[in-house]
This record gives sequence, C-alpha cells and structure tokens, in this order.
Amino acid sequence: MNTADTSSRITLPRRSFLAFAGASTLVPILAACASDGEGPQASSGKLPTGVLKYWDSILGTGEYNTLSKTLIEGWKDGGLTAEYQIIPAANLFQTFQASIAAGKGPAVSGGYAFQAFQFANEGAIAYADHLIETMKKNGMYDDYVAGVTEPFKTSKGYVAVPWGMDIRPMWYRKSLLDKAGVDVPTDWDSFLAAGKALAKIGAYGWATAAGTGASYGGHALVSLMINNGGGLFDEHGKPDCLYARNVEAMDFVREMVGAGMVDPASVSYSTDNLYDQWKNGQAAMGIVNATLTSEAGDTEDDLAVMSPLAGPHGDKGTLEYLKNFMMYTDTPSQQGSEDFMIWWLKQFQGTDGFFAKGVTGSLPVNKSVIALPQVQADKNVAKVLKEWGPVGKGYAARGTTLFAGLASVDAGTAINQFTQTMLQGKTDSKSALKTLQSGIESVLS
Amino acid sequence: MTATGARAIGRAVHGVGVGGRSERSPRPRRFGGRALTLALLVAPSVFLVVVIHGYPLVYAVVQALHDGSLVALGDFVGLQNFVTALENPVFWHAALFTLVFTVTGVFGSWAIGLGLALLLRKRVHVRSVFRTLLLLPWIVPIVVSSTAWNWLVATPASPVPLLARDLGLGSVLFLADPTLAQVTVCVFKVWVSFPFMMLMAGAALASIDTNVYEAARVDGANGRQIFFQVTLPLIARSTYISWILMTIFCINDFPTIFLLTGGGPVNATNTLVVLAYQTVFANFQTGPGVAIAFMMTLVAVLISVALFRQIRRADVS
Repeated sequence: MNTADTSSRITLPRRSFLAFAGASTLVPILAACASDGEGPQASSGKLPTGVLKYWDSILGTGEYNTLSKTLIEGWKDGGLTAEYQIIPAANLFQTFQASIAAGKGPAVSGGYAFQAFQFANEGAIAYADHLIETMKKNGMYDDYVAGVTEPFKTSKGYVAVPWGMDIRPMWYRKSLLDKAGVDVPTDWDSFLAAGKALAKIGAYGWATAAGTGASYGGHALVSLMINNGGGLFDEHGKPDCLYARNVEAMDFVREMVGAGMVDPASVSYSTDNLYDQWKNGQAAMGIVNATLTSEAGDTEDDLAVMSPLAGPHGDKGTLEYLKNFMMYTDTPSQQGSEDFMIWWLKQFQGTDGFFAKGVTGSLPVNKSVIALPQVQADKNVAKVLKEWGPVGKGYAARGTTLFAGLASVDAGTAINQFTQTMLQGKTDSKSALKTLQSGIESVLS
Repeated sequence: MTATGARAIGRAVHGVGVGGRSERSPRPRRFGGRALTLALLVAPSVFLVVVIHGYPLVYAVVQALHDGSLVALGDFVGLQNFVTALENPVFWHAALFTLVFTVTGVFGSWAIGLGLALLLRKRVHVRSVFRTLLLLPWIVPIVVSSTAWNWLVATPASPVPLLARDLGLGSVLFLADPTLAQVTVCVFKVWVSFPFMMLMAGAALASIDTNVYEAARVDGANGRQIFFQVTLPLIARSTYISWILMTIFCINDFPTIFLLTGGGPVNATNTLVVLAYQTVFANFQTGPGVAIAFMMTLVAVLISVALFRQIRRADVS
C-alpha cells in the first residue's frame, strides 16, 4: 500500500481547513440557537402546530409506560402531535428543574405530589382554571370524588388536575394474627394489645422503614397524627408540630417501640427491606401503600387491609397523596395542552382504561372508575377506596390546601430524622416534635 | 561581521527570515499565522472546557450568594448561605464524620493495599487470579456492592447479623445502631478502596531496584528495617499521590454513604457531600447546599496542596 501517495492526495490548505473547521463549529451552535420547532408564533392566525412534549414518571407496571408511549405518540390535534418521555423517578426533580431552567421542559407532565406547586412558584406552570371549566361542562369534573380538586387550587388558580390517589392504609397478615390469637384491631388500644401479642411470637406489629430512600416510616407517623385528628400544619398552613394531638400520637409510637412492636433495625430499612419483612412473615401489621399485595408477592390472600382505626378521641384518618397532571407555560399551544389533558385523563377511565387494566399502581379518584368491576375485583383495593379514601387527608393536614413548601418537608431531612429518632424510642415526643418543628420552619423560611 | 550578516542576525532576532522573498514575509507573520492556526484548533476544546467546567462553577458561585432555587436565582444574600451552613450543628457533625471517614478510608485502604501488594510480590501460584479477585471490589459498580452489603447486614435475618447471633453477640444492628453504622460504612469504604491502593503500591514496588534490598541485607538490615527505611521511603512519592487521590475520593464519596445508610440513623453517617445533596435536593435549599459543597471543596484543595508539598519533600534518591 502506498501511504505516501494517499497522503499527498488529501493535502488540505490551511485556510480551507480553518474555514471547514470554523463552519463545523458554527453549524451546531447556530442549530442549537435556532428554534426547535414551530411554535404558536410561527402559526399565528392558523391552527397551532408543533410537538407537545409530555413527560411521565415510571408508574405501576412497565405495561403502563409501554401503553402510554403508544397512545401518546399516536395523538394528533390539528397540527399538533405529542412526544412521550419517561423521566426516571430517581432523579425526577433534578431533570425537571434543569430542563425547565433551560427552557427545554415539557408542555404537560405527571410528577410527584407537590411538583406543580413548586413550578408554579417558579412561574413555569400554566394554570388549569380554563381546563377545569371545560371539565365542568363535559361532566368530567362531576365524576371526581369529593375533595380531590380543591387541594390544587391556589390564589392564582388550579396548578394541576388529579388523576389518581396514593394512600396509606393499615395492613395485617391474617396468619400471624391467628397465630398470636388476636382479633383484627379496631382502635389504638386493641392495636397495641395485638402488637404486644405479636411481639411474643417474634412478629412486628408496627412494620416500617426509615432508612435510605424509605418514606414509609415518616408517612406512617404523619398518618398516626392525622388518625388522631392532628397533622404537621395548622389550618392556615403554618407548622404546628407540637399540637397536642400530635404529641399524643407520638407518645403512642413510643409505647409501641417500648412494647417491642417495632423492629429496631427499621430505622435503617430501605423500602425493599420492608417489603422483604412483609414477604418473609416478620411484618404482621403496618402502614404501607394500597398495593402491598403485589409488592410483597402475596398469592395466598394472607395480607388484608384493616378498617381505619379509631384514635383515642374517636378520630379516623390517614395520609393521602393526590397524583396529578400539570401544564406548563412552555407549550406550542395552551389550547393544545388542554385538549391533550382532556384526552389523556380519559385514557385512565372506562372499561378499557388504565385503571381497568390495573397498570397504574394507584387508586382512582373518579366515581365511574371506582365503580368498575375490574377495580372492585380486588377486595383490598375496594376496601381502601370505600373506607380509607373518605378519611384520607393531605400532607398539609390540619390544613386542606397543598403548597410548594410541602415538597421540602415530605422529602426533606427533618421528617426523616424525626422518624428515625421516634423509632429509636430514646427521645421524648415533645423534644422530637420540637426539633421537627424547627427543622420544618428552617426549610420553609 | 558583514552588514549583511548583521542584518541577517537582526532579522533573525526580530524573527525575520534571512532568505525571505520579501521584507514582509517573515517569521513574525509565519509565526503569527501558525499561532493563529494553533489557537483556532485549540479554541473548540477551550470553549468546551470553559462551557463544561467554567460556566457551572461560576453559576454555582452565584447560586451560593443567592437564596433562590435551581430554576430561579432569587435575591442576593451575600455570605448568608455560608453563615447558615456553619451555624447548623448538622454541618459540624457531618464535617467531623467526613474527617473520620476520610482518614479511615485513606489509611485503612492503604495499609491493606500495601500489605497485599507486598504479598503479591512473592512468587505465588495463580498470582494473576488472586490479583484479579482482589480487584473486584474496585471494579464492581458501587450500586451493586452496596446492595450486596445491604443484603449482608441490613436486617436481623441477614447473614452477618445471623452469624453474630450464632457467635453469641446478640442482635447486632449494623446499620441501625449509630456507632455500628459509622463503623460499617468505614469498613465498606476500605473494602471498596483497597484494590486501588494495592495497584498503586504494586506499581511503586515494582519500580524498586532489587539491588537496593540486597545492599541493605549485606549491610545487616532486618526485614522491619528494610520495610521502614528502604521500601517506604522509596515508594513515598507514589504513596503521597495515592493518599491525595484517595482523600479526594473519600471527601467526594456520595454513593457509599447514600446507598448504604442515606446519612442515618439520625445523621450518624452524614458526610458533607451527602449533606450538600440533601440540602439542595431534599430540602430544596439551593444556596446553603452549594455553600456546603464549596466549603467541602476548599478543604479538599487544602489537604491536596499539603500532601503535594509532601511529595516534593519525599526522598526518592
């Protein structure tokens, strides 16, 4: 092979090379600076065109995401089409934040519980008031169960629209209760008595997890506060951790810890560790999500949902999260976003919808969906919807309106440390709640 | 020297070619053209480095001086975020544990790595197999190894707590007891890091002339004296470099702590890098979180500079 000849043939003059290199550098830069599609300005006076970006987190089964992708990529509204993107739950917030900051965020998305409030504060959310009006006209609004839209209403309007619910019911393993010779508890006293009996057979009556990435521990404590008529906030949304009912609820937790109802290792448990405890029969009772049977792989119908426990003052309640869709100001067409939302919400309903297919891993918030035979077929889900749904309250309890700061409380370090402190059982309730109060005030300031 | 010669030298000094075709073709232009070419060729890389490293760094400084979020910058607050971080007792606890974690991680992994490197110098059968196996903790992704350790120690039904119970140690809570959790994450860090130290030490040991050892033995030095007065000084430079690198690895080590304990229980294993992450992404306090990260970086730089000075002093003669 004559390499010398070859090299002489491809000699490039320096000027030409520099011109080529310069052009190569400039083209992508100019391309990046250019518009990434036809926006509403481009189609002023005409039907909007462009690509409406929809971002979703991973929900329920993998089938949900596969179905969603197929459906969404087939959506068309005049000149608008939709693009589907899955955002992994592990870095959901970071991805949304960075993308929205760069002006490359979605037009419509799902997300975590308080996301819409956070981005509304950043001015990135398109309020859903007009959409709500449309839903009132077409009957979709009236199909909601009571009280699920109002938590999203702020002074500027609705930041999001609900599609589902995640709630924290109390579960028990029948065989362990039978083995311990106790009935299914109905109130705190019988719960404590059952827990003590379970401790004698080596089972835990308050199975929970407060380690890395595990939120059930904190959720369970807040649920108990709500169960006792309390909550982390007052009616005006101000932190009120030292509310008497909260102190009473946390004293009850200390009593459970002292009675051996809590696995001492649970302060370090991940969510998977907790599910393992449910699988291997160590966990007898505990507050988890509504789909525990699938997480714990229960195929023998041994896991069941309790009826809500009555607190010492007769209150009932637990923590609930409303899953929602939100619209952003960065859209090729606001009307297109709303049309998409209407269409997308309908995909969750009906006998052929996502809930009927059982792929969401969530509970429905529409009356018509709750009544579906496919939904009612799971007796635990049916019981949660019938008995726990009506007593569920949001993270802002005793208040009713959600707000952005709840994200830094729910996922924050203060509640996690508080939970670990309570589960260790070495600190009195008031001291622990006082530390929680200052921690919450610090992140909300 | 002739006038022509003097002019030639003058041209040469000023960069003008002796045999140039004209007075204006000369070296400065040629040199300038070449420099321009080089500068243009380097420019994309410089541009990328500035964009990728410089811009985020500058933006982070700006964020540390504001009270906003990742999306909105918020109001300028001066050094208030630094003050807030320094006034938080959790910061000082995290700083202390970062120190413990780093010292244990660096010297624990170095001691084991050096010991194994010395052992592997001896002629052993299947040495390469041993070496490969010993490298596994370093090679395996940290997510996998931390999950494996979690399975080993997390619950009372895990293998290690069961073993401890069988040995009469009772119920040992490796991740739930604050002190044991600290010990566990430090041991995990040593386990993950010793292969790196073994490689570094092995490479340094291989570069030592065996005649030095023979000379030491002829002079009557025993094994201990040879190790402390010959081997260690001769690998000092490499040792300091490995300490610097491991110090940076330990201070910046996020996954080890986060995946194993998340900084708990009740902050017992919280390090500065985990605290910075939690402050920004869990508490959504961007300014204080970035301020913590900056202070952490400053400490890492100071330690690195101090160790670099030791390298210069290292006796490698």
